[in-house]
Parts: sequence; C-alpha cells; structure tokens
Amino acid sequence: MSQTLINAMADLDESVLVSEVNALKTQGVAPLEIIQNLQEGMNIVGKRYEEKEYYLSELIMSAEIFKEAAALIGGDLSGANAASHGTFVMGTIYGDIHDIGKNIVTTVMGCNGFNVVDLGVDVPTADYIKAIQEHKPQVVGISCLLTTAFDGMKECIESIKAAGLRDNVKILIGGGPCDQTTADYVGADAYCKTAQDCVEYAKKLMDIK
Amino acid sequence: MKTNAELYDERLNRIKAAVALEKPDRVPVIPVGNSFCANHLGVKPADFALDVELAHRTMLKSFTSLGEVDGIQQPVFSPYLLSFQWLSRVQIPGIDLPENVPWQVHEAEMMTTDDYDVIISKGYKYFFEDFLMNRLDNMLAKVGPVFGYTPTAIQNAKEAGVVTLSPVVLCSPYEVFCGARSMPKFMTDMRRMPEKVLEAMDIAQTQILEDSRQALRAAGCVGAWVGGWRAASEFLNPKLWERFAWPYFKQLVEMTVEEGVLPVLHMDSNWERDLERFKELPKAKCLFSGDHATDIFKIKEVLGDHMAIMGDVPAGMLALGTPDQVHTYCRKLIEGIGPKGFVLSSGCDAPYNAKPENVAAMIASVQG
Repeated sequence: MSQTLINAMADLDESVLVSEVNALKTQGVAPLEIIQNLQEGMNIVGKRYEEKEYYLSELIMSAEIFKEAAALIGGDLSGANAASHGTFVMGTIYGDIHDIGKNIVTTVMGCNGFNVVDLGVDVPTADYIKAIQEHKPQVVGISCLLTTAFDGMKECIESIKAAGLRDNVKILIGGGPCDQTTADYVGADAYCKTAQDCVEYAKKLMDIK
Repeated sequence: MKTNAELYDERLNRIKAAVALEKPDRVPVIPVGNSFCANHLGVKPADFALDVELAHRTMLKSFTSLGEVDGIQQPVFSPYLLSFQWLSRVQIPGIDLPENVPWQVHEAEMMTTDDYDVIISKGYKYFFEDFLMNRLDNMLAKVGPVFGYTPTAIQNAKEAGVVTLSPVVLCSPYEVFCGARSMPKFMTDMRRMPEKVLEAMDIAQTQILEDSRQALRAAGCVGAWVGGWRAASEFLNPKLWERFAWPYFKQLVEMTVEEGVLPVLHMDSNWERDLERFKELPKAKCLFSGDHATDIFKIKEVLGDHMAIMGDVPAGMLALGTPDQVHTYCRKLIEGIGPKGFVLSSGCDAPYNAKPENVAAMIASVQG
C-alpha cells in the first residue's frame, strides 16, 4: 500500500504519481497492487466530485493521469476489476455523436468502484445487446444530446426486451434534453439529471452503502 | 391595420422595454431554431444546410407562420458557422450524413499544444486564418457567402415587421480553444501548461475583441450572442473558471455594450454557481438566455433586478410534450419570471423534431 501514490492520484499530482509508479515498479511491487492504489485514489476523486470539491475539469485530469500510470505499469492487470461493485455498460445512442455527458458519467462511475464498459458514441442497438450478453451488467446507461435520438433510445430498449435481456438489467438514460417524460417515452427505468444521480441509483440498486 | 414598419417599431420597443427591466405592453416572444424550421416546412436538411438563402426564407416563414413573433434570434444558418465559431469539424447532411438528418459537431483534437506556441510567436490572426484554410478545408470561403447574405436577411425580416435580435455570434478564447483542442485535451492543458494557455488566450482575446468590434459596427445590429457553452460553471472548478473563463467573457460583454449593442448571453449548461458574478456586467443592458439547465427561477432570484432574462421552454417538452403542457409552462414563466424584464423563447434552439403545434403554443402564450 503506497499512501504517496493514493494521495498523488487523489490530488491529481501528476509528477509525484509518475515518479512513485516508477519507484514501486523498481521495488518489484506487483502491477495489480499498484493499480489498486490508483483505484483507491480514484475513489477519493469520486468522493471529492460528489462533494463538489472537484468538477469535470478534475475528473478529466484524473482519467488522463490514471491512463498514463496504467501505461507505465504495463504487465498483467487482469483481476483489477475483481473488487468492483458491479458492471455498468454505457454509450451514446446511434444518431448522436456527443460524448461529453457520456464521458462524465463513465468517469464518475469508474471513480465510484464500478467496472465501466464504454461503448463510445453513435452506438447501434446491436452493440448494446452484444455488450449486455458479454459483460452481464447490472446497469446500462444510454446518453443523448439530441431530441432526435429519443426514438433511437426507445427502439434500443424495446430490442433489449425483445432479446430477452430486459429483466436482468436496469436501464438509465441521461443527457441535456432528457427528463422523466423522456424516460417514460423510451421505456427506461429512470432518468439521471447528473452523473451523481447515476451513481446513487446504481448503488441503491446493488445495496451498496 | 398597422404597417409592417409600424409593427417592427412596436416590437423593437417592446424588446427594448424588457431589456431595460420595464414592463412592456406584453412579454415579447423571440423564437430560435434552424433545423426545426427545415423539418416544419419539409425542407431537406441537406438543402437547408448548403443554401443560405433557402435557410433564411425557411426560418422566417416557419416562425411567422406559427403566430405573431416579435423577432427571430438569428436570420440565417449554416452548419459551417459552427465550424467557424468553434474551430471544429461539423458533419453535414448530404456530405457526411444522410440527406434527411440534421448536422452535428464532430469534436476532435484539431489543434495541438504546439499551436499555443504558434499563437504566441506569430499572432492569433495568423493561426486562425491558417487553421481555417488548412485544417478546416478553406472554411472562410464557405462562411463568406453566409456573412455576405446576412444584411439582406435582416432587411427581409425587417420588411416583414420582424426584429432580428442577434445576427452576430461572439465567442471567447476559452470556447474557441476548447472546441479546437477538444474538451478533454483543453481541460488537461489548463492544468499542465496554464501559463502558456493564458498567454495564448490573451493574444487571442486582443484579436477577437478587435474583430468582434468591427463585426458589430458592420452589422449595425440590435444585439449579438455572446456565447457560453463549454465554460459553464458546472464543468469547471471555481479557480479555473475565474482564471480562464470569466475575465475574457466579461470583456466581450463589456465591449458589446460599449458598441451600443445588446449582449444576448446565450448560456448553455448550468451556470447557477456563478450567477452572482453576472451582476458585474452593466445593469439593464444584457439579456440572460439559459437553455433550461440553469434553473430560470434561480436566475430570476439572483439577477432579476439586474438584467432581463430570456427562455426557456425545454427542447424535450417541445419534442415530446403537448400544446397544453407548453402553454402552462410558458404562462408560468410569463407570470413568474415576467412580466417585467422577460422575453419568452425556447431554451437554446427549438430542436429538429419539435412539434410545430408546440412552437405555436409557445408563441401564442404571450397573448394570454
């Protein structure tokens, strides 16, 4: 356990983080252990975001330096998600290429201990279905910024149901124009106004304190 | 029967009264939208996107056919304007997308960190012109006809008795750099190389202020959008916002007021945390236009005595709601935000698939 690394990750101190990762590698610390320290730092980032000490500007930086550190570590990282609360699959629905909202939510969910599968933008229904079959998530998130994407969300959720997968997942929607009326229209379980709403809904669902 | 010239004066005075925080004879209504108008009148997005005259005629006809509007916010549209404003690529229907779907901004890292050095060493004008030519495929040639047609479009609207509120769009360096670098990259730049980013922003700001002043003088317009999109309070911690966003935005607003033009503060996303700061802007000289992400009743509470407010029928309600729901919401705004210092509009654009009967309900709601 490197408190220095945890703090560097939490404080977004890139230079300390890089030198500490290199030092731990030299000492022969297992890659998985280093990653777990980083994840612990990310949990603090998530907490600070929740408490409005951090904003999107800090979330983006945290994701950036986490990626940088993971690349430095290399090696076998399998099992890094073993301690996660559960799996969250998310994408921006087809017909819409906006990614900021989706990226906020995936980062915040990652910071809060969820294993996140990010499908990207302009995601066809078939990719959601494939991801649900493959990753068996507890929660699926569908994002959009365009009201023209509402019908795509509706079709996607209907297709997930037709594929016999709807009962096993909760589906959340979000994005600029979405509200409860949208959630009702597309057949989602809930609409999330903020990324924090998504975290709280998912934690409640999985009975995580 | 009033002439169109008389109607124009009456409507302009109504808007001016609202901006001055007075109570007009009724709340003015000034819709905004582009792809909605194409969809409403059955014009293919591909044709609308590439023919500025068609876009103008479609926008004017669409809104004036749905009721008595006091004005329109913009007289023309071209997706290339979005590229020009934000230095981003835009996917165009009929070129990058099917003919019948609206355009979309395609955010990508078009500007590199080396470009900050180019701006510092060679100036923003050099960088901007080179970027338009070489990274946005000679964008100046594409937006030139749009700018060239704008005075005619404003005149057409005037002859129809309709005020063009804000035909010019001004963007701070934050918005331009964020669009060109992509939001994630720009946010990391602010942390990794803050001094260099600020130096480039200061140089850009000088040029932007000068160019914007010339644009306002040439247009002779009532108002101009001074936009805030990516610099919204909800995205940035207060220290970064204070350093990189607010001072530049404030300067642009102050310059617009100096030029005798109304700054229409087109504020997308949530600005609630920093609403108090908008009191630093000249009193009764600005129009705060939120997109529904900032609680309009909170805007009223904080800024109601300081500047007029415009908005904010949400896009989702215009697309999925009913005329009754729209009417009820609009009356709540007219009575709760107005009747003093309020202009009714949609929150940002009326979207492509807004129902025309809902836009008509919004326009009619100012009559009672």
